[in-house]
Amino acid sequence: MKFRKACIALIFGVFAASSLAAGNMEGQQAPDFALKSSTGENMRLSEYRGDVVMINFWATWCGPCRQEMPLLDELYSRYQRVGFNLLGVNIDDDSRRAMDMIEDLGVNFPVLFDARKEVSKLYDVDAMPVTVIVDRQGTVRYVHQGYKPGYEEMYLDQIRSLLRE
Amino acid sequence: MTKTFITLVATTMLAFSVVSVAQDVAPMDADVAVAQARDAEAAEARSRDEFRSLDTDVQSLKKEVLDLNRDLFLLEEELLFPANSQVAFFVSMDVGEYFELDSVSIKIDGKEVANYLYTAREADALVRGGVHRVHMANLKTGEHEIIAIFTGKGPNVRDYRRGATTVIDKGIGAKYLELEITDRIKKQQPEFVIKEWE
Repeated sequence: MKFRKACIALIFGVFAASSLAAGNMEGQQAPDFALKSSTGENMRLSEYRGDVVMINFWATWCGPCRQEMPLLDELYSRYQRVGFNLLGVNIDDDSRRAMDMIEDLGVNFPVLFDARKEVSKLYDVDAMPVTVIVDRQGTVRYVHQGYKPGYEEMYLDQIRSLLRE
Repeated sequence: MTKTFITLVATTMLAFSVVSVAQDVAPMDADVAVAQARDAEAAEARSRDEFRSLDTDVQSLKKEVLDLNRDLFLLEEELLFPANSQVAFFVSMDVGEYFELDSVSIKIDGKEVANYLYTAREADALVRGGVHRVHMANLKTGEHEIIAIFTGKGPNVRDYRRGATTVIDKGIGAKYLELEITDRIKKQQPEFVIKEWE
């Protein structure tokens, strides 16, 4: 009985710790980074200050990422004109696989390659996908771990409210 | 009557005898009291001396603590802001016709200490005369090998990767190194130099 209780406490502890890792970034200044993009250009987060930026960490081996990316691309093409930017950060070791997947999915948002995992460490990424929404002042406002159908509605609400600020 | 007189005389004599006895005893008590007072005074003086020496000890200990605290503070300052061991690296670009900067990586004594990716805007700022402090390091005095690796697009938009190396002699005082990218018009090639600011 005691063992069961200990197990339950441990599981809750692990969940609490993982949600803390992601949640404790909210309200903090988004750590700056620069990465090479799929177009060959280097992109730096701080150069998008003044825009609402969504940073989406993804990998080719992640099923939910594949589901989520076309929906994020829709958001990007709809709100790009009014100051919304989306940076997809791929964490695969081999960027060619990521390039193949981008082509397959036909997404247009910029994809950056974090093969050295420096940026994902900076953002405490311990789940896949992780979506971070940064406001116009460069503050992390929302962090979402994982993806479930319907999350895109939540993203839409959050992006629209941040664009109005 | 006679009886009364006798009683009176007897009482007077007794009173006189008591007074005389008292007079005999009184000097003895005063001596003891004086001796006791002296003892007490001596004890007080001793305790005062002891207290004074304790106070001096505490004072000297306090001074030692203050000295130690100051030394610690200075050490901490030296550790946190060791101006003398500072080495700063700056990237500059002159003209930039033959080279489009992508990244700069710096190695000190074979160990990579910085790797900076330049966005198009940052590279443009360098071409316009900007200087970028790419890294700050703290180095011990003595010789150190510095390697800077520049990547980007060279002439005819070809991928270009070049290194520049130098050995610096780190003495006392801060050092400033400029990683300079210039165009060599004769060769139509970029040139990479590490310069020490005087």
